[in-house]
Amino acid sequence: MALADFRDDMMSCVRCSSCKWIPFNQMKSSRFAKNCPSICMHGFHSYSGSGRINMGLSLLEGRSELTEKVSEVIYSCQMCGACDTHCKVYREVIDVNDVFLELRARCVEDGQLMLEHMAVIDALKRENNMLGEPKAERGVWADGLGLKDINVEAADVMFHAGCRFAYDRDLWPGVRSAVKLLMAAGLDVGTAGAEESCCGGRAFELGYRGEARNFFEDMLARVKSSGASMLVTPCADGYAAFKYLFPLAGIELPVEVLHTAQLLERLLLEGRLRPRRRVPLKVTYHDPCHLGRMGEPYLGKWEGDKRERLRPMSRTGKNGVYDPPRNLLRSVPGLSLVEMERIREYAWCCGAGGGVIDAFPEYAEWTAAERLEEAVSTGAEILVTSCPWCERVLNDAVEKSGAGIEVRDLNEILLDSCAPGEGLVIE
Amino acid sequence: MISNSAYGELEQAVGAGFATREPAMIDSYCWQPFLNMSDDLWVTRPAAVVLPASTEQVQEVVRSCNRNGLKFKALSTGWGAQNGATSEDVVLIDLRRMDRIVEIDEQNMYAVVEPYVCGGELQAECWKRGLNTHIVGAGPHASPLAGATSMHGCGNDSISMSTSSRNVLGVEWVLPSGDVLHLGSPGSGGGWFCGDGPGPSLRGIMRGTSGAFGGFGVFTKVALKLYHWPGPPSIDSEGMVLDSTGELPDCMRFFNCSFSSERDSVEAMYRIGEAEIGCIQVRMVTSELVLLIMPHLFPKLVKKGGTILKLLNGVMAHPFMILLAGNSPGELDYQVKVLHDIIRSCNGIAMDTGSIAPARKLMGMNLLRCTIFPTVFRFGNMFATNLDGNEALDTQSAWTHAIQEHKSGYVRTGGLIDDGGENPYMINYENNLYGHCETIYLYDHRNPRHRESLEPLGFDATLCAIEQCNVPLSAFEPVTRKIMSPLAYDFNEWQKKISAAFDVNGVSDTGFYTDEKDPDFSKIDPAKIEKLRRLQARFGKSGD
Repeated sequence: MALADFRDDMMSCVRCSSCKWIPFNQMKSSRFAKNCPSICMHGFHSYSGSGRINMGLSLLEGRSELTEKVSEVIYSCQMCGACDTHCKVYREVIDVNDVFLELRARCVEDGQLMLEHMAVIDALKRENNMLGEPKAERGVWADGLGLKDINVEAADVMFHAGCRFAYDRDLWPGVRSAVKLLMAAGLDVGTAGAEESCCGGRAFELGYRGEARNFFEDMLARVKSSGASMLVTPCADGYAAFKYLFPLAGIELPVEVLHTAQLLERLLLEGRLRPRRRVPLKVTYHDPCHLGRMGEPYLGKWEGDKRERLRPMSRTGKNGVYDPPRNLLRSVPGLSLVEMERIREYAWCCGAGGGVIDAFPEYAEWTAAERLEEAVSTGAEILVTSCPWCERVLNDAVEKSGAGIEVRDLNEILLDSCAPGEGLVIE
Repeated sequence: MISNSAYGELEQAVGAGFATREPAMIDSYCWQPFLNMSDDLWVTRPAAVVLPASTEQVQEVVRSCNRNGLKFKALSTGWGAQNGATSEDVVLIDLRRMDRIVEIDEQNMYAVVEPYVCGGELQAECWKRGLNTHIVGAGPHASPLAGATSMHGCGNDSISMSTSSRNVLGVEWVLPSGDVLHLGSPGSGGGWFCGDGPGPSLRGIMRGTSGAFGGFGVFTKVALKLYHWPGPPSIDSEGMVLDSTGELPDCMRFFNCSFSSERDSVEAMYRIGEAEIGCIQVRMVTSELVLLIMPHLFPKLVKKGGTILKLLNGVMAHPFMILLAGNSPGELDYQVKVLHDIIRSCNGIAMDTGSIAPARKLMGMNLLRCTIFPTVFRFGNMFATNLDGNEALDTQSAWTHAIQEHKSGYVRTGGLIDDGGENPYMINYENNLYGHCETIYLYDHRNPRHRESLEPLGFDATLCAIEQCNVPLSAFEPVTRKIMSPLAYDFNEWQKKISAAFDVNGVSDTGFYTDEKDPDFSKIDPAKIEKLRRLQARFGKSGD
C-alpha cells in the first residue's frame, strides 16, 4: 500500500469537521464534547483527521512538500482513531487511520524522521524492546509465577506480556495478576521469557515498515513453534497489532488472539473465575483505544469504490473490546462502575499512543490530564484500565497533577476479588 | 507571499506557535469540495493562518492587516468553499481557540458563546437546564455564532425556534478597522438580553438576510435566544446505524404526514404554524430517507426500475415529518389532536411513525440534534443545493418543482446521481411568516462529469428563481450575485456602500459578500441565456 492508494479516501473528505467531535448524538456536555487530542492541543486544522488527510492530498498532488514541520504535524497524533470512528458514524468511504499510516511511512521513506522515534527503533533493533532495556531481563517480571517456558515445552496459551509490562516494574502487579488469574482457572500458560520480543506494532505505526516486518515475522515463527492454540496479551497495543496490523502487512497468526480481558470474561462465564471478595470501590473504566476502536480485526483491502462497502466491512469502532472489561468489573461484589461521558468507541485517548509518549511527552501528559479530569468528574476513586501504556501515562499524569484518583489495572482489581481457596497463589 | 515583518507581527499578536505559513498546513484549509465549482476543488491558498485566543488578539491581527495591506477572513469549523480565502493576500483567522460557552442565563433564557462553540455541545448544555437552542440545518457541528452573525441559519427546528437571524441578542464585533463594537443591549452596558437595544441596533447592517460570509469583520461573541425544552437532561444513544438508536422521550411524538396534492401539503404546513404546535417540522421525501439510511440497497432499488421507490414516494406523497413536544401529557394530547384535525382537513394522513420502535429510535435524536446532515454525503459523496431563499411556502414549493424538471434531465444523462425523488429540504419558520426550501442534488465530486453539471444546473436554478420572483440565498456566490442584484433593488450596490463605510482600507475578504463575477456562458445553452436576457429586461432595476 502507498499514499496514492488512498487518493479516493482523501478526495472524499468534505471537510465537515465531524472528526473533531465525539458523535453528536453522544454529546452530553460542552466540557467533554471534543474527541481529538491533537487539534485540541495544537489548534490548526492540519492537526485534525480531516486536516491530515487534506495535507496528504496536497503532498500527493505535489502542491506542497514534506518538510520537517509537516512531519512534526503528522507525528503529533496518538493514532487513537477517534476521528476515524466519528467519520464512520455517517460514511464508510474514508479510512482515516490507514491514511495516517501511509503518511508516516512516507515520512520514513523521505527521511523526515523524529529523533526520538529513531531512538525507539534503535532500541528495538538492539534489545528487541521499545524501552531499550536489556534483552536478557525481559522475562524477569514472571519470576516465581510458575509459567511454562514455551521455548522448551508446549503450552495451550502463549502469553505475550509486551514491552511495557515486561520492563515497567511499577506495572508488574497488573501483568502478574493476569497470569495468576489464568493459572488459577486451570489454564496451561507459557511465555517466551527473555526470548519474547516486541510485537512490532509501534514500529509499524511510526512508519518503519521494514523493521516492523522483521518483528511480525519473528512473532509468527514463535507462535508457530510454540504449538499454542491461543495467543493472549494484557497489552492493548500488542492486541491491536496482532488483530489489525499483522494482517494488514499480510501476516496471519494461526492461533486465536485474545486480550486478557476477553479470556477472563470467558472464564467468568464458564464459572472458572469467581470473584467473591467484596471490593467496595467506586471505579470508572478507561477504554484503551487499541483495545477498543483500534482493536477491531482487519477486514481486508476493499477493492473498488468504498461507497459500495457494506458497514460490516468497515472499521467502525463499534466492534472493539468494550464489554468484557466492564462485565468483569460488574462481577466484582461491592464494586460500583460509573461511566465517563466519552467511552467505548468515542473514548478520549490516554495520550501515549502513536509514538507521542516518546516524541512529545508534554503533549502525552496533557492528553492524560484531560482524561483524569473526566474520570474525577464521575466521583470515582479508581480509574481502571487494561493497557500498560495507558496505565503508565495516566499514572504519570496523576503524579504531576495531583489529581485525586488512583489508576489501576483491571487484573489487579479482579485478583483482589478472587478469594483465596480458588487455587490462587497470593503473594 | 507575506513579508517576514508582517508575518512577525501576526506571530506577535497571537503568540508563538499560533501562526503558520507552512504550505501543506495551510492547504488543509484549502481543500473545500462543498459548494466549489472549480476544476481542482482547492480554493485559493491564503498568505497565513492565525489562531487568536481572545478578542484582543483578533483586534491585533486585524490592525496588523490594515497596516500591512493584507486582507483577512475569519472562520470557525470552516465547512465549505465560502469559508476559504478568495485571494492570496488573505490572512485566515481560525477561531478554534475561542470555544467557550461564556454564560447560560437560565432565567433570561439566553446563552453567550464564542465562535468555536458548536451547536451540539450548546444544546447538550441547554438540555441540562431545561432549555433548548436552535441548531442550523448544516448540522450540530456548525457554529451557532457563525449562523447568527454571518450565514443564513435555518434548521429542522425553525418552526419552534426560528432562524439564526431572529435569535441574535447582541454581538461583540471586531470591525474591519480593528475597533470593537457591541451591538444590542451590550452596547449600552445593559447585559446581553436584547439585540435591538438599549444600545445600537445594526442587525440589518451586520448580517441582513444571509450574513456577510466572513467578509465584514470578525464576530467574537454572540448572545443567543434560548427556548424551553420539555425533554430530559440527556438522551442515551447507541447503535450501528448513525449512532441513533435513542429512545424518544415520552413527552414527544413523531409523525410522517402525506397528502394527495402539493397544495394540500403546503396548506397543512401553514395551518400547523398558525396553530403553534410542533417542535420540529421538515420535509424529506421517503425515498431520500431510504437512501440515507440504506445507501447500499438504494442503487439496487433504482436499477430495478425504481418500482419500490415510486411506490414509497406514491404512498407517502408530498410528505413532511413533524415532531410534537408537550410539557404535559395533556398538552401533548392536545397537539396530537390538533395535528390530526389539520391533516384530515387537508386531505392527508398522519402516520404515527413514532410508535414504531425502529423509526422512533432512529429518527428521534437525528431530528432533535439535526444529526441527519452528514448522512447526505453517504450515498453520493457530495451534495449541492440551490440554496433557496426565504419566502412564502407556496413560492418555495413552486420553485422546487420547477427546478426538479431541470434536475431530472441531469440525472437522466448521468450528470447527477439518481436519488429517486425531488429530494427537497423544506422547513417552516415560526408561525408561518415564511419558510425555506432547498433542492438537494447528490453527486460525486470525484467525478468530472458530475462537476460539469453544477454550473449549468446552478444557472437553471437561478432562472427558475427569477421566474418565481425569488432571490436565492446562493446570491452570496459572485456569479449569482451579479445576475440577481439588478433584479432585486440593486442590493449588492447597497452592500458595497455599507462595506466601504466600515472597511475604509478594504481589508475584509469580500469574495462571498460583495464581489461579483461575470457568468461563464460557454457552458450554457444559448436559449437559456436568451431567456435570462428577457427576464432581466422585464424585471431589471425596477425591483418589482
